[in-house]
Amino acid sequence: MLNYNRIVLAFFIVFVSSSLLFAGGPWPQAKGKGYFKLYEWWIIFDQHFTDSGNLDPNVTTGIFNTSVYAEYGLSNRVTAILNAPVLSRNYMNNLVSATTEQVLVAGEGINTIGDIDLGVKYALTKPGAKYPIAATLILGLPTGKTNGGEQGNLQTGDGEFNQLLQVDVGTSYALGKKSSIYFSANLGFNNRTNEFSDEIRYGLEAGLGLAKSRLWLIARLNAIESLKNGATAATATSTSIFANNTEFTSIGFEANYYITKKFGVSAGFATATRGEIIAAAPSYSVGFFYDMNR
Amino acid sequence: MYRQSIYVLLACSVLTGCIGNDFVFDEVDPVLRITTSIDTMQINTTLQFEQMYLNNIGVEESVNATWVSSDESVIAISTDGLAEALQEGSSVIATEYHTADGMLRDEITVYVGQTASTGGASASGVIQTTSSYLLEGDFTIQETENGIRIEIAENYRASTALPGLYVYLTNNKNTTANALEIGAVQVFSGAHQYDIPNVKVSDYSHILYFCKPFNVKVGDGEIR
Repeated sequence: MLNYNRIVLAFFIVFVSSSLLFAGGPWPQAKGKGYFKLYEWWIIFDQHFTDSGNLDPNVTTGIFNTSVYAEYGLSNRVTAILNAPVLSRNYMNNLVSATTEQVLVAGEGINTIGDIDLGVKYALTKPGAKYPIAATLILGLPTGKTNGGEQGNLQTGDGEFNQLLQVDVGTSYALGKKSSIYFSANLGFNNRTNEFSDEIRYGLEAGLGLAKSRLWLIARLNAIESLKNGATAATATSTSIFANNTEFTSIGFEANYYITKKFGVSAGFATATRGEIIAAAPSYSVGFFYDMNR
Repeated sequence: MYRQSIYVLLACSVLTGCIGNDFVFDEVDPVLRITTSIDTMQINTTLQFEQMYLNNIGVEESVNATWVSSDESVIAISTDGLAEALQEGSSVIATEYHTADGMLRDEITVYVGQTASTGGASASGVIQTTSSYLLEGDFTIQETENGIRIEIAENYRASTALPGLYVYLTNNKNTTANALEIGAVQVFSGAHQYDIPNVKVSDYSHILYFCKPFNVKVGDGEIR
């Protein structure tokens, strides 16, 4: 069953995905090595991009996800990937009369687990290649809640099982003895079920490593183009309450700092520069990571 | 260190996602409205006229409105609205209510004849978008035996991209609070109709379209 909180979830999935790219890209983990991250991602928005790309207001809505992200090298070319929002909070504000100050519509919130992503990355090129290429399959498991709250309009999952097949390519260079830089690009196809439209996803990323790679500054551009081959409110078989055909282009920035050799902190934000049926507000993330590769 | 990190993140998740208040600017002009549907009174009969007062948020309140007739020789009316048709002709029947900001008034012309006629209450209007979403079309409203029928015209179109589009009848076009929910929009193009029992044409001032789950106003249409 499609659901209107796809607006929220699309934003969630996309920006979580963007946060994963730091440890991802076309570079697989070495066998027995891993990258682990505990992070908080959130967005609060009171306006959204409409189907014509304009901005309209909506009740203030927030999503806060506390997630575990992990990559582990099963071999030098195969890496297992997990992204698990272990605590996901979705809420909407009260609507209060400015005239009488009485609550017109009571706000609600739910706290549950979110949708879990499981995946595997396979290096199509040999480890150490100058232009590494990797293919990644991500399975989006509908483990979140789809109809929370008294009105059933709160979600921490979309209730659909999607399969994202993505190809990443990249390269990196040393900039002197203390700095380095990398570039990567990705292109993916997201096959979605339950009458949701399939998607083309693509992105660009550049990272600058400073202070002997203790500090990484990263910039990202991500986009989703809907194939608009799913149901609309007029054709959905189950309900007209949903949003589909979400599209957007976003830019994001992130800083990662290794406090010790393997342990570090990260912080970032991203925002959509254009969109359709999607939240219009910056999303933020902070986290801690452990990198076994150093 | 790791345990502290987890605590910080969990606290961040739970504590910062607090439900706040969004204020809705829902003030409207108070209205006094005659709700009795009558075109012609039968001579030598009486009729109790009724009115509705809607306050500054469009909610009905009981008030001591008075009634007057422009021609007491045709229709005599008491201050509480009991009218008596005395002779053939016509008279303007009005109800008035004095507020702190002035006087509210509504009036209708009533004829006196050999037979009574309600004239068949009806109204019409134009649905128009108040958002970036497509919404347009004409409509008419007719009283039926047990309520009203809203007929949306062939030129109606609504966006299919919007999540949870619902249609309401309301006396405050700024909010769905105190509105009558007709139901989820099922038709997004072309003519269709809604039959609504136990409602009169004069009960509401607007048709209202709202994205219910996100409380986004999409459009409205004044009932004239």
